[in-house]
Amino acid sequence: MKFIVLKKNLKDGLRAIERITDQNSNLPILKNFLIESFDNKIKISATNLELAVTSYISGKIIENGSLTIPLHFFNSIINNLQTEKINLESENEKLTIKTDNYQAEIKGIKKDEFPIIPKIENEKFYLEINNSILKNSLSSIVNSTTNENKPELNGVLFDYQDTLIKLAATDTFRLSEKTIFNTQYNSNIEKKFKTIIPTKTIQEVIRGLQFEENNNTSIFFDQNQILFKNESIEIISRLINGEFPDYSQIIPKKFETEITLNNNELVNAVKLASVFSDRLNEVKIIIKENAKNIEVYSAGSNLGENKYLIPAKISGSPMEIIFNWRYLLDGIKNLTSENIFLGINNNNKPALLKASEEISWFYILMPIKS
Amino acid sequence: MLFTPEQLWQSALSEIELQISRPNFLTWLKNSRLIEKKDTGEILIGLSNNFAKEWVENKYHKLIFEIIKNLDDSIKKIEYSVIGAANPSFEKISLESIDINIGQLTFPEFKVDPESGLHPKYTLDSFIVGSSNELAYAASLAIIKNVGKKYNPFFIYGGTGLGKTHLIQAIGNEIKKVYKNKIQIKYVTCEKFVNDVVNAIRNKRMEDIKNKYRNIDVLIIDDIQFIGGKERSEEEFFHTFNVLHENNKQIIISSDRPPAAIPTLHERLRSRFEGGMAADITYPDFEMRMAIIKTKLSQMQKNLPDQSIQTIASKVQRNIREIEGILNKILFYQETKGVDLQSKIIEEIISNTIHRVDKKVTPNQVIKAIANFFEVLPEDISNHSRRKKVMEPRQITMFLLREMLGMSYPDIGDKIGKRDHTTAIHAYEKIANEINKNQSLNQKILLIKDIIYESC
Repeated sequence: MKFIVLKKNLKDGLRAIERITDQNSNLPILKNFLIESFDNKIKISATNLELAVTSYISGKIIENGSLTIPLHFFNSIINNLQTEKINLESENEKLTIKTDNYQAEIKGIKKDEFPIIPKIENEKFYLEINNSILKNSLSSIVNSTTNENKPELNGVLFDYQDTLIKLAATDTFRLSEKTIFNTQYNSNIEKKFKTIIPTKTIQEVIRGLQFEENNNTSIFFDQNQILFKNESIEIISRLINGEFPDYSQIIPKKFETEITLNNNELVNAVKLASVFSDRLNEVKIIIKENAKNIEVYSAGSNLGENKYLIPAKISGSPMEIIFNWRYLLDGIKNLTSENIFLGINNNNKPALLKASEEISWFYILMPIKS
Repeated sequence: MLFTPEQLWQSALSEIELQISRPNFLTWLKNSRLIEKKDTGEILIGLSNNFAKEWVENKYHKLIFEIIKNLDDSIKKIEYSVIGAANPSFEKISLESIDINIGQLTFPEFKVDPESGLHPKYTLDSFIVGSSNELAYAASLAIIKNVGKKYNPFFIYGGTGLGKTHLIQAIGNEIKKVYKNKIQIKYVTCEKFVNDVVNAIRNKRMEDIKNKYRNIDVLIIDDIQFIGGKERSEEEFFHTFNVLHENNKQIIISSDRPPAAIPTLHERLRSRFEGGMAADITYPDFEMRMAIIKTKLSQMQKNLPDQSIQTIASKVQRNIREIEGILNKILFYQETKGVDLQSKIIEEIISNTIHRVDKKVTPNQVIKAIANFFEVLPEDISNHSRRKKVMEPRQITMFLLREMLGMSYPDIGDKIGKRDHTTAIHAYEKIANEINKNQSLNQKILLIKDIIYESC
């Protein structure tokens, strides 16, 4: 194997795969990543046996070949090189890195020992979606997942229906749901299905899509795997076995108090409140009888207290309710619209947060017991 | 030498282990098992993930095939597939995250295990056993030991709020615990089952129902009495019942009355329900109510003086769920007022909670309901005929007038054909005595009460 590559391209490729390697596995080769050069392409892959990421890099190929190399070790060398062009050459199980004024030889392991990256059984049926829509949709819900003891909640529900896709995630304290309508994607999958995609996979997809906003990504499924594929990256992952909780029953349908208010104001208020809030992260929202504004209040036992008034359109009964400000902010920050709708029931029922003009996303949050 | 399929794969594994490195063995073949052995000499091996499948197929197939062939030369072909891998465990829960969430409420519905439908709060440990439910409890223990073989189906019946749901869910949870998820359990309420059937009919996907309810090891159905009269659901349930029962899968059913007393239930289902073990749960006695209140208090980590507990136990006799509600109320009073409550206030709270309905009932409504139930004329109840047909209704009337309305004996005697008060006392005592011995009488009286409450 022999090729010349620009340092920037190599680094972009490495960034896409660097979090995948498994440092604590029984199998030492999982610390390595695989470089292959063939057909005028350079391909690098890493896996932790739950998901595998493959990234394509452009470069000048002189000789085809392959080798696996310890990723972190290789990364620290590349990050410290100053030159633009890098020559890479392998012979037997050794890789030589060469620039104008630097040369290193590192030991690798041959490709035969590296796990074979699985394929999707049938690539005939897939859906195609714009990268930025996919990335934004996934980002808007991935915060709500949890890694606690429930495997089915350590992932995002992918609910494929006739004319839309619903994505949902919850950690039992809050839940977010995003709907993607079929005007935003193309698909030849006919059957409805539901599956759960691991959180880690979602995070890698979001990271991998960062630079290519205008292209499309295709998504393929088989019984226990999902594949995201575009020109520069391929991510294949297992799916989670289990049943996502039926959350339709927890979506509040009526509210005792309905509030419409400015997005930025609420973000500011919650951030300011967070300064005073102590370890419990409490922030209180107070709605008085016939008021034209809501009060965002927080106090720390050793610090003092503060309150922030936000003008708002309010209907319904007066109310005092406490939230964890982190969870509240996690929800608000996914909203880009100018006005936000907040529907509250009472101290022990879920509240609902969404954009006031838009319906594709909502967030349900349980209050803190007062 | 002949192996069972499991032994065959186990001995193959121990040979493979010698030939490949330990990390490789652990990574690729741990959690593998033999899924199926066909008569045609094909075997199907399940591996933990797709990576393992690719690897074993490409690198170890030859080795495995040789080893297996040596052990059993009838094997002609080996196939591999991915089994629902054990999901990675998430044992690291950082202390910090627990700290942050003090007081943070969770979606209560999510506590239910989505696969089995069981709520973890119902455990056998928190189920209080007394004379009123010891038969049902003992049968439950036998079932847990011997799933599907001992009492099948197991039918529990008893009035509302006596712990049927608690017991059947606890059986489910205990089975889950003992057999470590090797046994598939499904708990549904009758309503859910009916809804599933209706949805399946609407979407023309009856096979969904079959997949969902026939591939399990334990089926628990709550409040089966509601299935009566729903033809299609009954039929579907009948077939499901047969399939499960034939395959020795455990079926557990609860109802508020015995199978014979469920109106509009088809004969074929009724006889099947009666075919296994039927156990009833009756009203708890005083000591048991005391024990229940004490357990509830310790679960809530609260305290009440013994005097108050005794008051509650002696006043609330019929419904354990009501005990819970009353306890909550009393504790709320105690916390907000900050003082120990006198038994007078407690009595007031109790009577506000449970006697609400009774006040609206009039003696004439009681008489009318009973006359209707026994198909006699209301006049017959108060006249002086001594035919057997009207004797029982008459005595029950006097009993219920005393019990539900708290009328005095002279008043009751006066109302029922100007009789002497001793006649009323005799009738009351006779029925009160009989009710504990005679289940069918008890059942009748419960039904009559339902009718009376419905009519007002």
